[in-house]
Amino acid sequence: MHRRFLIPTIVLVLAGVLAIGVSGCSVRAPGQGITPQDGSVLQAPVPVPKEGAEVWADNCMRCHNIRPLTSYSDAQWEVVVHHMRVRANLTAVEHKAIVEFLKGAN
Amino acid sequence: MNSRVFQIGILLAMTATNSHAQEALSDDKYVPREEYEQLKEQFDALKAEVDKLKTTGQPQKPRPDDTVKTPTTEYQLTEQERRSRDQVISDIVENWQLNQASLADSSKFLIAGYATAGFTDQEGEDSNFSAKLVPVFLWKLNDRLLFEGEVEFELENVNGASETEVNLEYANVSYLLNDYITLGAGKFLTPFGLFGERLHPAWINKLPDAPLPYGSGGLAPMSSVGFYMRGGVAVEETKFNYAFYVSNGPNLNTATATKAGTLIFDNYEDINNNKAIGGRVGVLPVPEMELGYSFQVARVAPDGFERVDAVIMGVDFSYVRYIDALGGIVDFRAEWVFSDVENATFDPAGSLGFGPLTFDNKRHGGYVQLAYRPSKNSSEILRRLEFVTRWDMIELPSGAPDETDEQRLTFGLNYWLAPSTVVKAAYRLGNKENNAEDQNAFFLQAAVGF
Repeated sequence: MHRRFLIPTIVLVLAGVLAIGVSGCSVRAPGQGITPQDGSVLQAPVPVPKEGAEVWADNCMRCHNIRPLTSYSDAQWEVVVHHMRVRANLTAVEHKAIVEFLKGAN
Repeated sequence: MNSRVFQIGILLAMTATNSHAQEALSDDKYVPREEYEQLKEQFDALKAEVDKLKTTGQPQKPRPDDTVKTPTTEYQLTEQERRSRDQVISDIVENWQLNQASLADSSKFLIAGYATAGFTDQEGEDSNFSAKLVPVFLWKLNDRLLFEGEVEFELENVNGASETEVNLEYANVSYLLNDYITLGAGKFLTPFGLFGERLHPAWINKLPDAPLPYGSGGLAPMSSVGFYMRGGVAVEETKFNYAFYVSNGPNLNTATATKAGTLIFDNYEDINNNKAIGGRVGVLPVPEMELGYSFQVARVAPDGFERVDAVIMGVDFSYVRYIDALGGIVDFRAEWVFSDVENATFDPAGSLGFGPLTFDNKRHGGYVQLAYRPSKNSSEILRRLEFVTRWDMIELPSGAPDETDEQRLTFGLNYWLAPSTVVKAAYRLGNKENNAEDQNAFFLQAAVGF
Protein backbone atom coordinates (compact mmCIF):
# COMPACT_ATOMS: atom_id res chain seq x y z
CA MET A 1 0.00 0.00 0.00
CA HIS A 2 1.22 3.43 -0.88
CA ARG A 3 2.43 5.17 2.25
CA ARG A 4 0.28 8.25 1.95
CA PHE A 5 -2.89 6.16 1.83
CA LEU A 6 -2.05 4.10 4.88
CA ILE A 7 -3.12 6.45 7.65
CA PRO A 8 -6.32 7.77 5.98
CA THR A 9 -7.37 4.22 5.20
CA ILE A 10 -6.85 3.06 8.74
CA VAL A 11 -8.80 6.09 9.95
CA LEU A 12 -11.63 5.33 7.52
CA VAL A 13 -11.96 1.73 8.61
CA LEU A 14 -11.72 2.59 12.28
CA ALA A 15 -14.34 5.30 11.90
CA GLY A 16 -16.72 2.83 10.33
CA VAL A 17 -16.12 0.26 13.01
CA LEU A 18 -16.53 2.93 15.67
CA ALA A 19 -19.83 4.08 14.19
CA ILE A 20 -21.14 0.54 14.29
CA GLY A 21 -19.84 0.15 17.81
CA VAL A 22 -21.56 3.34 18.97
CA SER A 23 -24.87 2.14 17.62
CA GLY A 24 -24.44 -1.15 19.44
CA CYS A 25 -25.72 -3.24 16.56
CA SER A 26 -28.89 -3.65 18.53
CA VAL A 27 -32.16 -4.80 17.10
CA ARG A 28 -34.30 -1.74 16.77
CA ALA A 29 -37.46 -1.42 18.75
CA PRO A 30 -40.62 -0.95 16.71
CA GLY A 31 -40.99 2.62 15.57
CA GLN A 32 -37.52 3.67 16.63
CA GLY A 33 -35.13 5.26 14.21
CA ILE A 34 -37.40 5.92 11.27
CA THR A 35 -35.67 8.97 9.99
CA PRO A 36 -36.39 10.17 6.50
CA GLN A 37 -33.21 11.52 4.98
CA ASP A 38 -34.98 14.46 3.46
CA GLY A 39 -34.12 17.37 5.72
CA SER A 40 -37.39 19.07 4.88
CA VAL A 41 -39.53 16.48 6.62
CA LEU A 42 -37.31 15.72 9.55
CA GLN A 43 -38.95 18.27 11.80
CA ALA A 44 -42.45 16.97 11.25
CA PRO A 45 -42.52 13.21 10.81
CA VAL A 46 -45.72 11.96 9.29
CA PRO A 47 -47.79 9.90 11.75
CA VAL A 48 -48.07 6.55 10.06
CA PRO A 49 -48.71 2.93 11.02
CA LYS A 50 -45.47 1.55 12.47
CA GLU A 51 -45.39 -1.83 10.86
CA GLY A 52 -45.43 -0.85 7.20
CA ALA A 53 -43.49 2.36 7.82
CA GLU A 54 -40.67 0.48 9.50
CA VAL A 55 -40.43 -2.09 6.77
CA TRP A 56 -40.45 0.69 4.19
CA ALA A 57 -37.78 2.73 5.99
CA ASP A 58 -35.56 -0.26 6.73
CA ASN A 59 -35.47 -1.49 3.18
CA CYS A 60 -35.28 1.81 1.31
CA MET A 61 -32.70 3.42 3.57
CA ARG A 62 -30.34 0.51 3.13
CA CYS A 63 -29.46 1.87 -0.33
CA HIS A 64 -30.92 5.33 -0.84
CA ASN A 65 -32.87 8.21 0.65
CA ILE A 66 -36.54 7.74 1.31
CA ARG A 67 -38.72 9.48 -1.20
CA PRO A 68 -41.76 11.49 -0.09
CA LEU A 69 -45.01 9.55 0.02
CA THR A 70 -46.48 11.95 -2.50
CA SER A 71 -43.85 11.14 -5.12
CA TYR A 72 -46.16 8.64 -6.74
CA SER A 73 -49.85 7.74 -6.87
CA ASP A 74 -51.05 4.49 -5.29
CA ALA A 75 -50.93 2.70 -8.63
CA GLN A 76 -47.42 3.98 -9.32
CA TRP A 77 -46.23 2.94 -5.86
CA GLU A 78 -47.46 -0.57 -6.64
CA VAL A 79 -45.21 -0.65 -9.69
CA VAL A 80 -42.25 0.82 -7.82
CA VAL A 81 -42.52 -1.59 -4.90
CA HIS A 82 -42.90 -4.55 -7.24
CA HIS A 83 -39.72 -3.39 -9.01
CA MET A 84 -37.92 -3.04 -5.68
CA ARG A 85 -39.12 -6.44 -4.50
CA VAL A 86 -37.22 -7.97 -7.39
CA ARG A 87 -34.19 -5.68 -7.12
CA ALA A 88 -33.74 -5.80 -3.34
CA ASN A 89 -35.06 -9.33 -2.76
CA LEU A 90 -37.89 -8.18 -0.51
CA THR A 91 -39.98 -10.93 1.02
CA ALA A 92 -43.64 -11.27 0.11
CA VAL A 93 -44.60 -10.08 3.59
CA GLU A 94 -42.45 -6.97 3.24
CA HIS A 95 -43.88 -6.30 -0.22
CA LYS A 96 -47.42 -6.43 1.08
CA ALA A 97 -46.69 -4.37 4.20
CA ILE A 98 -44.99 -1.61 2.20
CA VAL A 99 -47.74 -1.38 -0.42
CA GLU A 100 -50.45 -1.25 2.23
CA PHE A 101 -48.55 1.40 4.16
CA LEU A 102 -47.98 3.56 1.10
CA LYS A 103 -51.60 3.30 0.00
CA GLY A 104 -52.81 4.11 3.48
CA ALA A 105 -50.51 7.07 3.94
CA ASN A 106 -50.70 8.55 0.46
CA MET B 1 -113.12 12.28 -24.73
CA ASN B 2 -109.45 12.58 -24.44
CA SER B 3 -107.03 14.85 -26.28
CA ARG B 4 -106.23 12.15 -28.85
CA VAL B 5 -109.83 12.16 -30.09
CA PHE B 6 -109.78 15.93 -30.19
CA GLN B 7 -106.60 15.90 -32.30
CA ILE B 8 -108.12 13.46 -34.77
CA GLY B 9 -111.23 15.59 -35.04
CA ILE B 10 -109.12 18.65 -35.85
CA LEU B 11 -107.26 16.62 -38.47
CA LEU B 12 -110.49 15.52 -40.11
CA ALA B 13 -111.72 19.08 -40.22
CA MET B 14 -108.43 20.27 -41.68
CA THR B 15 -108.47 17.53 -44.28
CA ALA B 16 -111.99 18.43 -45.33
CA THR B 17 -111.21 22.13 -45.43
CA ASN B 18 -108.04 21.49 -47.41
CA SER B 19 -109.89 19.45 -50.04
CA HIS B 20 -112.55 22.12 -50.45
CA ALA B 21 -109.98 24.86 -50.78
CA GLN B 22 -108.05 22.89 -53.36
CA GLU B 23 -111.27 22.33 -55.30
CA ALA B 24 -112.03 26.04 -55.24
CA LEU B 25 -108.59 27.00 -56.46
CA SER B 26 -108.77 24.63 -59.36
CA ASP B 27 -110.51 25.51 -62.55
CA ASP B 28 -111.50 21.89 -62.87
CA LYS B 29 -114.22 20.86 -60.39
CA TYR B 30 -112.88 17.28 -60.39
CA VAL B 31 -109.61 16.16 -58.75
CA PRO B 32 -107.45 13.50 -60.39
CA ARG B 33 -108.41 9.95 -59.66
CA GLU B 34 -105.13 9.22 -58.00
CA GLU B 35 -105.48 12.10 -55.58
CA TYR B 36 -109.03 11.18 -54.88
CA GLU B 37 -108.11 7.62 -53.98
CA GLN B 38 -105.34 8.85 -51.67
CA LEU B 39 -107.61 11.27 -49.83
CA LYS B 40 -110.33 8.69 -49.57
CA GLU B 41 -107.91 6.21 -48.09
CA GLN B 42 -106.83 8.72 -45.47
CA PHE B 43 -110.40 9.61 -44.70
CA ASP B 44 -111.45 5.99 -44.28
CA ALA B 45 -108.53 5.27 -41.99
CA LEU B 46 -109.27 8.25 -39.79
CA LYS B 47 -112.96 7.48 -39.73
CA ALA B 48 -112.25 3.93 -38.64
CA GLU B 49 -110.05 5.16 -35.83
CA VAL B 50 -112.68 7.65 -34.65
CA ASP B 51 -115.32 4.93 -34.68
CA LYS B 52 -113.05 2.68 -32.68
CA LEU B 53 -112.35 5.37 -30.14
CA LYS B 54 -116.00 5.97 -29.73
CA THR B 55 -116.54 2.35 -28.79
CA THR B 56 -113.41 1.70 -26.67
CA GLY B 57 -112.54 5.16 -25.42
CA GLN B 58 -108.80 4.35 -25.97
CA PRO B 59 -106.58 5.53 -28.81
CA GLN B 60 -105.49 2.84 -31.21
CA LYS B 61 -101.84 2.02 -31.01
CA PRO B 62 -100.10 3.09 -34.18
CA ARG B 63 -98.83 0.24 -36.29
CA PRO B 64 -95.40 0.34 -37.84
CA ASP B 65 -96.85 0.31 -41.32
CA ASP B 66 -99.37 3.04 -40.67
CA THR B 67 -99.45 5.42 -43.56
CA VAL B 68 -101.59 7.94 -41.80
CA LYS B 69 -99.54 10.74 -40.37
CA THR B 70 -101.06 12.50 -37.40
CA PRO B 71 -99.87 15.87 -36.30
CA THR B 72 -98.15 16.02 -32.88
CA THR B 73 -97.65 18.86 -30.46
CA GLU B 74 -94.32 19.32 -28.58
CA TYR B 75 -94.48 17.98 -25.07
CA GLN B 76 -93.58 20.60 -22.52
CA LEU B 77 -91.40 19.28 -19.65
CA THR B 78 -92.35 20.30 -16.18
CA GLU B 79 -89.76 21.99 -14.02
CA GLN B 80 -89.33 18.82 -11.97
CA GLU B 81 -88.88 16.71 -15.08
CA ARG B 82 -86.33 19.17 -16.45
CA ARG B 83 -84.36 19.01 -13.21
CA SER B 84 -84.43 15.21 -13.25
CA ARG B 85 -83.24 15.16 -16.85
CA ASP B 86 -80.38 17.58 -16.07
CA GLN B 87 -79.41 15.51 -13.03
CA VAL B 88 -79.23 12.31 -15.09
CA ILE B 89 -77.05 13.98 -17.71
CA SER B 90 -74.83 15.45 -15.01
CA ASP B 91 -74.43 12.03 -13.35
CA ILE B 92 -73.48 10.40 -16.64
CA VAL B 93 -70.84 13.03 -17.38
CA GLU B 94 -69.46 12.86 -13.86
CA ASN B 95 -69.20 9.05 -13.92
CA TRP B 96 -67.46 9.16 -17.26
CA GLN B 97 -64.94 11.66 -15.96
CA LEU B 98 -64.33 9.56 -12.84
CA ASN B 99 -63.84 6.45 -14.95
CA GLN B 100 -61.32 8.25 -17.13
CA ALA B 101 -59.39 9.44 -14.06
CA SER B 102 -59.50 5.97 -12.56
CA LEU B 103 -58.13 4.44 -15.73
CA ALA B 104 -55.25 6.91 -15.75
CA ASP B 105 -54.51 6.30 -12.08
CA SER B 106 -54.51 2.53 -12.44
CA SER B 107 -51.92 2.66 -15.20
CA LYS B 108 -49.23 0.07 -14.51
CA PHE B 109 -46.63 1.77 -16.65
CA LEU B 110 -44.10 4.08 -15.07
CA ILE B 111 -41.06 5.95 -16.31
CA ALA B 112 -38.48 6.54 -13.59
CA GLY B 113 -34.70 6.88 -13.81
CA TYR B 114 -32.06 9.52 -13.25
CA ALA B 115 -30.01 12.20 -14.97
CA THR B 116 -26.67 13.80 -14.26
CA ALA B 117 -24.63 16.82 -15.24
CA GLY B 118 -20.98 16.80 -14.27
CA PHE B 119 -17.58 18.38 -14.46
CA THR B 120 -14.25 16.54 -14.11
CA ASP B 121 -10.78 17.99 -13.88
CA GLN B 122 -8.12 15.27 -13.67
CA GLU B 123 -4.37 15.81 -13.63
CA GLY B 124 -2.84 15.10 -17.01
CA GLU B 125 -6.16 15.32 -18.84
CA ASP B 126 -8.33 18.10 -20.20
CA SER B 127 -11.12 19.15 -17.89
CA ASN B 128 -14.52 18.20 -19.20
CA PHE B 129 -18.24 18.70 -18.74
CA SER B 130 -20.52 15.73 -19.13
CA ALA B 131 -24.19 14.79 -19.09
CA LYS B 132 -26.18 11.61 -18.91
CA LEU B 133 -29.86 10.64 -19.08
CA VAL B 134 -30.96 7.21 -17.90
CA PRO B 135 -34.70 6.53 -18.12
CA VAL B 136 -36.05 3.37 -16.53
CA PHE B 137 -39.23 1.86 -17.95
CA LEU B 138 -41.35 -0.19 -15.58
CA TRP B 139 -44.44 -2.03 -16.68
CA LYS B 140 -46.39 -4.13 -14.23
CA LEU B 141 -48.34 -6.47 -16.49
CA ASN B 142 -50.18 -8.06 -13.57
CA ASP B 143 -49.59 -8.90 -9.92
CA ARG B 144 -46.87 -11.39 -10.85
CA LEU B 145 -45.32 -10.12 -14.06
CA LEU B 146 -43.06 -7.09 -14.32
CA PHE B 147 -41.03 -5.74 -17.21
CA GLU B 148 -38.16 -3.41 -16.43
CA GLY B 149 -35.81 -1.74 -18.85
CA GLU B 150 -33.14 0.94 -18.60
CA VAL B 151 -31.55 2.88 -21.43
CA GLU B 152 -28.50 5.07 -20.92
CA PHE B 153 -27.87 8.10 -23.09
CA GLU B 154 -24.36 9.41 -22.55
CA LEU B 155 -22.14 11.90 -24.33
CA GLU B 156 -18.98 10.25 -25.59
CA ASN B 157 -15.89 11.41 -27.40
CA VAL B 158 -14.75 8.68 -29.77
CA ASN B 159 -11.62 9.33 -31.84
CA GLY B 160 -12.10 13.04 -31.52
CA ALA B 161 -15.73 12.97 -32.61
CA SER B 162 -18.49 13.72 -30.15
CA GLU B 163 -21.49 11.48 -30.21
CA THR B 164 -24.34 10.31 -28.04
CA GLU B 165 -23.82 6.77 -26.89
CA VAL B 166 -26.92 4.71 -26.24
CA ASN B 167 -26.73 1.57 -24.13
CA LEU B 168 -29.41 -0.85 -23.09
CA GLU B 169 -28.44 -1.28 -19.45
CA TYR B 170 -31.05 -3.89 -18.74
CA ALA B 171 -34.31 -5.23 -20.13
CA ASN B 172 -35.92 -8.21 -18.50
CA VAL B 173 -39.19 -9.77 -17.45
CA SER B 174 -39.65 -11.20 -13.98
CA TYR B 175 -42.36 -13.46 -12.61
CA LEU B 176 -43.29 -13.86 -8.94
CA LEU B 177 -43.61 -17.63 -8.80
CA ASN B 178 -44.48 -17.70 -5.11
CA ASP B 179 -43.63 -15.88 -1.88
CA TYR B 180 -40.01 -17.04 -2.00
CA ILE B 181 -39.06 -17.36 -5.66
CA THR B 182 -38.96 -14.82 -8.46
CA LEU B 183 -37.94 -15.98 -11.91
CA GLY B 184 -36.69 -13.67 -14.62
CA ALA B 185 -35.00 -13.57 -17.99
CA GLY B 186 -33.38 -11.03 -20.27
CA LYS B 187 -30.57 -8.61 -19.67
CA PHE B 188 -30.30 -7.83 -15.96
CA LEU B 189 -27.99 -6.11 -13.52
CA THR B 190 -25.75 -8.88 -12.26
CA PRO B 191 -26.41 -9.75 -8.62
CA PHE B 192 -22.74 -9.59 -7.71
CA GLY B 193 -21.90 -7.50 -4.67
CA LEU B 194 -23.84 -4.36 -3.89
CA PHE B 195 -22.56 -1.53 -6.04
CA GLY B 196 -23.40 -2.85 -9.49
CA GLU B 197 -26.94 -3.86 -8.77
CA ARG B 198 -28.11 -1.44 -6.11
CA LEU B 199 -25.80 1.55 -5.72
CA HIS B 200 -24.62 2.59 -9.17
CA PRO B 201 -27.39 5.09 -10.07
CA ALA B 202 -25.92 8.56 -9.71
CA TRP B 203 -28.56 9.78 -7.25
CA ILE B 204 -27.77 6.78 -5.00
CA ASN B 205 -23.98 6.61 -5.41
CA LYS B 206 -22.56 9.01 -2.86
CA LEU B 207 -19.53 9.91 -4.97
CA PRO B 208 -19.41 11.01 -8.61
CA ASP B 209 -17.42 7.99 -9.80
CA ALA B 210 -17.54 4.23 -9.34
CA PRO B 211 -15.14 2.34 -7.07
CA LEU B 212 -12.30 0.59 -8.92
CA PRO B 213 -13.61 -3.01 -8.84
CA TYR B 214 -16.83 -1.85 -10.56
CA GLY B 215 -15.66 0.84 -12.91
CA SER B 216 -14.53 0.53 -16.49
CA GLY B 217 -12.00 -2.31 -16.62
CA GLY B 218 -13.15 -3.51 -13.22
CA LEU B 219 -13.22 -7.01 -11.83
CA ALA B 220 -16.93 -7.58 -11.26
CA PRO B 221 -19.70 -8.11 -13.82
CA MET B 222 -22.22 -5.28 -13.96
CA SER B 223 -24.87 -6.83 -16.21
CA SER B 224 -25.58 -10.23 -17.74
CA VAL B 225 -27.82 -11.82 -20.34
CA GLY B 226 -29.57 -14.98 -19.26
CA PHE B 227 -32.14 -15.96 -16.64
CA TYR B 228 -32.25 -15.72 -12.88
CA MET B 229 -34.01 -16.95 -9.78
CA ARG B 230 -34.10 -14.82 -6.66
CA GLY B 231 -36.01 -14.03 -3.51
CA GLY B 232 -35.93 -13.42 0.20
CA VAL B 233 -37.07 -15.12 3.35
CA ALA B 234 -37.19 -14.04 6.98
CA VAL B 235 -36.43 -16.37 9.85
CA GLU B 236 -37.51 -14.57 13.00
CA GLU B 237 -35.35 -11.42 13.19
CA THR B 238 -32.87 -12.54 10.56
CA LYS B 239 -33.52 -12.09 6.88
CA PHE B 240 -31.87 -14.02 4.08
CA ASN B 241 -31.86 -13.19 0.41
CA TYR B 242 -30.49 -14.93 -2.63
CA ALA B 243 -30.07 -14.49 -6.36
CA PHE B 244 -28.70 -17.10 -8.77
CA TYR B 245 -28.33 -16.81 -12.50
CA VAL B 246 -27.14 -18.50 -15.67
CA SER B 247 -25.79 -16.17 -18.33
CA ASN B 248 -23.72 -15.99 -21.49
CA GLY B 249 -20.74 -15.11 -19.33
CA PRO B 250 -17.64 -12.97 -19.81
CA ASN B 251 -15.08 -13.17 -22.58
CA LEU B 252 -11.33 -13.48 -22.04
CA ASN B 253 -9.35 -10.83 -23.85
CA THR B 254 -6.76 -12.78 -25.85
CA ALA B 255 -5.91 -10.50 -28.76
CA THR B 256 -5.24 -7.03 -27.38
CA ALA B 257 -1.65 -6.49 -26.25
CA THR B 258 -2.49 -4.09 -23.41
CA LYS B 259 -5.54 -6.01 -22.16
CA ALA B 260 -4.57 -9.67 -22.55
CA GLY B 261 -5.88 -11.71 -19.64
CA THR B 262 -8.64 -9.30 -18.62
CA LEU B 263 -12.29 -10.31 -18.63
CA ILE B 264 -14.73 -8.48 -20.87
CA PHE B 265 -18.11 -8.36 -19.18
CA ASP B 266 -20.02 -6.31 -21.72
CA ASN B 267 -20.03 -8.91 -24.47
CA TYR B 268 -23.57 -10.14 -24.66
CA GLU B 269 -23.13 -13.11 -26.94
CA ASP B 270 -21.74 -16.42 -25.80
CA ILE B 271 -18.32 -16.95 -27.39
CA ASN B 272 -17.81 -20.59 -26.43
CA ASN B 273 -21.23 -22.19 -25.92
CA ASN B 274 -20.49 -22.46 -22.23
CA LYS B 275 -22.64 -20.59 -19.75
CA ALA B 276 -21.60 -18.71 -16.66
CA ILE B 277 -23.22 -19.57 -13.34
CA GLY B 278 -23.27 -17.12 -10.50
CA GLY B 279 -25.15 -15.63 -7.65
CA ARG B 280 -25.18 -13.85 -4.36
CA VAL B 281 -26.47 -14.78 -0.94
CA GLY B 282 -27.04 -12.16 1.69
CA VAL B 283 -27.89 -12.21 5.36
CA LEU B 284 -29.30 -9.40 7.46
CA PRO B 285 -28.95 -10.20 11.16
CA VAL B 286 -30.54 -6.82 11.88
CA PRO B 287 -32.34 -4.60 9.36
CA GLU B 288 -29.52 -2.07 9.15
CA MET B 289 -26.73 -4.55 8.48
CA GLU B 290 -26.16 -6.83 5.49
CA LEU B 291 -23.38 -9.26 4.67
CA GLY B 292 -23.12 -10.85 1.27
CA TYR B 293 -21.12 -13.39 -0.66
CA SER B 294 -21.08 -13.43 -4.47
CA PHE B 295 -19.56 -15.76 -7.03
CA GLN B 296 -19.40 -16.42 -10.74
CA VAL B 297 -17.81 -19.39 -12.51
CA ALA B 298 -17.39 -19.44 -16.26
CA ARG B 299 -15.36 -20.82 -19.13
CA VAL B 300 -14.13 -17.63 -20.65
CA ALA B 301 -11.79 -18.33 -23.57
CA PRO B 302 -13.19 -17.98 -27.08
CA ASP B 303 -13.42 -20.94 -29.43
CA GLY B 304 -9.98 -21.81 -30.81
CA PHE B 305 -8.13 -20.71 -27.68
CA GLU B 306 -6.99 -23.09 -24.97
CA ARG B 307 -9.50 -23.94 -22.24
CA VAL B 308 -9.57 -21.26 -19.53
CA ASP B 309 -11.90 -21.19 -16.54
CA ALA B 310 -12.48 -18.19 -14.34
CA VAL B 311 -13.79 -17.90 -10.80
CA ILE B 312 -14.81 -14.52 -9.43
CA MET B 313 -15.79 -14.12 -5.81
CA GLY B 314 -16.88 -11.15 -3.78
CA VAL B 315 -17.77 -10.24 -0.24
CA ASP B 316 -19.71 -7.20 0.80
CA PHE B 317 -20.77 -5.53 4.00
CA SER B 318 -23.09 -2.61 4.59
CA TYR B 319 -24.32 -0.84 7.66
CA VAL B 320 -26.74 2.08 7.42
CA ARG B 321 -28.40 3.53 10.46
CA TYR B 322 -29.48 6.65 12.23
CA ILE B 323 -27.32 6.93 15.34
CA ASP B 324 -28.74 9.12 18.04
CA ALA B 325 -25.38 9.73 19.67
CA LEU B 326 -24.06 11.16 16.43
CA GLY B 327 -27.27 13.00 15.56
CA GLY B 328 -27.33 11.65 12.06
CA ILE B 329 -27.16 8.79 9.60
CA VAL B 330 -24.03 6.70 9.19
CA ASP B 331 -23.58 4.79 5.96
CA PHE B 332 -20.68 2.37 6.00
CA ARG B 333 -19.90 -0.01 3.14
CA ALA B 334 -17.08 -2.28 2.15
CA GLU B 335 -16.74 -4.67 -0.77
CA TRP B 336 -13.95 -6.87 -2.04
CA VAL B 337 -13.69 -8.78 -5.30
CA PHE B 338 -11.28 -11.60 -6.13
CA SER B 339 -10.77 -12.73 -9.70
CA ASP B 340 -8.92 -15.96 -10.48
CA VAL B 341 -8.49 -16.77 -14.17
CA GLU B 342 -6.64 -19.93 -15.14
CA ASN B 343 -3.17 -19.37 -16.51
CA ALA B 344 -2.94 -19.31 -20.27
CA THR B 345 -0.39 -18.42 -22.92
CA PHE B 346 -1.44 -15.40 -24.91
CA ASP B 347 -0.21 -14.91 -28.46
CA PRO B 348 1.66 -18.24 -28.29
CA ALA B 349 3.14 -17.89 -31.79
CA GLY B 350 4.03 -14.25 -31.37
CA SER B 351 1.98 -13.34 -34.41
CA LEU B 352 0.18 -10.53 -32.55
CA GLY B 353 3.45 -8.98 -31.48
CA PHE B 354 3.22 -9.35 -27.72
CA GLY B 355 3.58 -13.08 -27.04
CA PRO B 356 4.14 -15.64 -25.98
CA LEU B 357 2.90 -14.18 -22.70
CA THR B 358 2.08 -16.09 -19.53
CA PHE B 359 1.41 -14.81 -16.03
CA ASP B 360 -0.40 -15.76 -12.86
CA ASN B 361 -3.78 -14.21 -13.64
CA LYS B 362 -5.12 -13.37 -10.18
CA ARG B 363 -6.53 -9.96 -9.37
CA HIS B 364 -8.34 -8.39 -6.49
CA GLY B 365 -9.72 -5.04 -5.51
CA GLY B 366 -12.18 -3.40 -3.21
CA TYR B 367 -13.36 -0.31 -1.46
CA VAL B 368 -14.29 0.99 1.95
CA GLN B 369 -16.68 3.93 2.14
CA LEU B 370 -18.03 5.94 5.03
CA ALA B 371 -20.67 8.65 4.83
CA TYR B 372 -22.29 10.74 7.53
CA ARG B 373 -25.24 13.06 7.32
CA PRO B 374 -26.22 15.15 10.37
CA SER B 375 -29.91 14.66 9.68
CA LYS B 376 -31.04 15.78 13.14
CA ASN B 377 -29.00 18.97 13.28
CA SER B 378 -30.95 22.13 14.05
CA SER B 379 -29.50 23.87 11.02
CA GLU B 380 -31.30 23.02 7.81
CA ILE B 381 -28.15 23.58 5.79
CA LEU B 382 -26.23 21.06 7.87
CA ARG B 383 -29.10 18.60 7.74
CA ARG B 384 -28.83 18.60 3.98
CA LEU B 385 -25.07 18.12 3.94
CA GLU B 386 -23.40 14.75 3.70
CA PHE B 387 -19.72 14.01 4.23
CA VAL B 388 -18.27 11.07 2.32
CA THR B 389 -14.89 9.40 2.10
CA ARG B 390 -13.87 6.30 0.19
CA TRP B 391 -10.70 4.34 -0.24
CA ASP B 392 -10.59 1.97 -3.20
CA MET B 393 -7.86 -0.10 -4.79
CA ILE B 394 -7.18 -2.71 -7.41
CA GLU B 395 -4.18 -5.01 -7.64
CA LEU B 396 -3.25 -6.64 -10.92
CA PRO B 397 -0.99 -9.65 -11.50
CA SER B 398 2.75 -9.14 -11.94
CA GLY B 399 3.75 -9.70 -15.52
CA ALA B 400 0.37 -8.77 -16.94
CA PRO B 401 0.41 -6.21 -19.74
CA ASP B 402 -0.38 -2.68 -18.67
CA GLU B 403 -0.09 -3.83 -15.08
CA THR B 404 -0.98 -0.80 -13.01
CA ASP B 405 -1.99 -1.38 -9.44
CA GLU B 406 -4.04 1.57 -8.35
CA GLN B 407 -5.39 3.01 -5.20
CA ARG B 408 -7.36 6.14 -4.52
CA LEU B 409 -8.67 8.14 -1.61
CA THR B 410 -11.66 10.37 -2.26
CA PHE B 411 -13.30 13.00 -0.10
CA GLY B 412 -16.75 14.21 -1.00
CA LEU B 413 -19.26 16.76 0.17
CA ASN B 414 -22.87 16.37 -0.91
CA TYR B 415 -25.77 18.78 -0.61
CA TRP B 416 -29.22 17.22 -0.83
CA LEU B 417 -31.74 19.54 -2.44
CA ALA B 418 -34.40 16.84 -2.19
CA PRO B 419 -34.37 13.14 -1.27
CA SER B 420 -33.39 12.20 -4.81
CA THR B 421 -31.63 15.38 -5.95
CA VAL B 422 -28.06 16.01 -4.92
CA VAL B 423 -25.11 18.20 -5.82
CA LYS B 424 -21.77 16.47 -5.18
CA ALA B 425 -18.28 17.89 -4.95
CA ALA B 426 -15.35 15.51 -4.52
CA TYR B 427 -11.59 15.49 -4.62
CA ARG B 428 -9.75 12.27 -5.38
CA LEU B 429 -6.14 11.48 -4.56
CA GLY B 430 -5.11 8.79 -7.01
CA ASN B 431 -1.95 6.84 -7.57
CA LYS B 432 -0.93 4.18 -10.08
CA GLU B 433 2.11 2.10 -9.18
CA ASN B 434 3.83 2.25 -12.54
CA ASN B 435 2.72 5.70 -13.43
CA ALA B 436 4.73 8.68 -12.30
CA GLU B 437 1.80 11.00 -12.72
CA ASP B 438 -0.80 11.15 -9.99
CA GLN B 439 -4.44 10.50 -10.83
CA ASN B 440 -5.74 13.33 -8.68
CA ALA B 441 -9.07 14.68 -9.83
CA PHE B 442 -11.76 17.16 -8.89
CA PHE B 443 -15.42 16.36 -9.56
CA LEU B 444 -18.66 18.27 -9.55
CA GLN B 445 -21.87 16.45 -10.25
CA ALA B 446 -25.58 17.16 -10.03
CA ALA B 447 -27.78 14.09 -9.98
CA VAL B 448 -31.55 13.82 -10.08
CA GLY B 449 -33.54 10.66 -9.52
CA PHE B 450 -37.05 10.79 -10.95
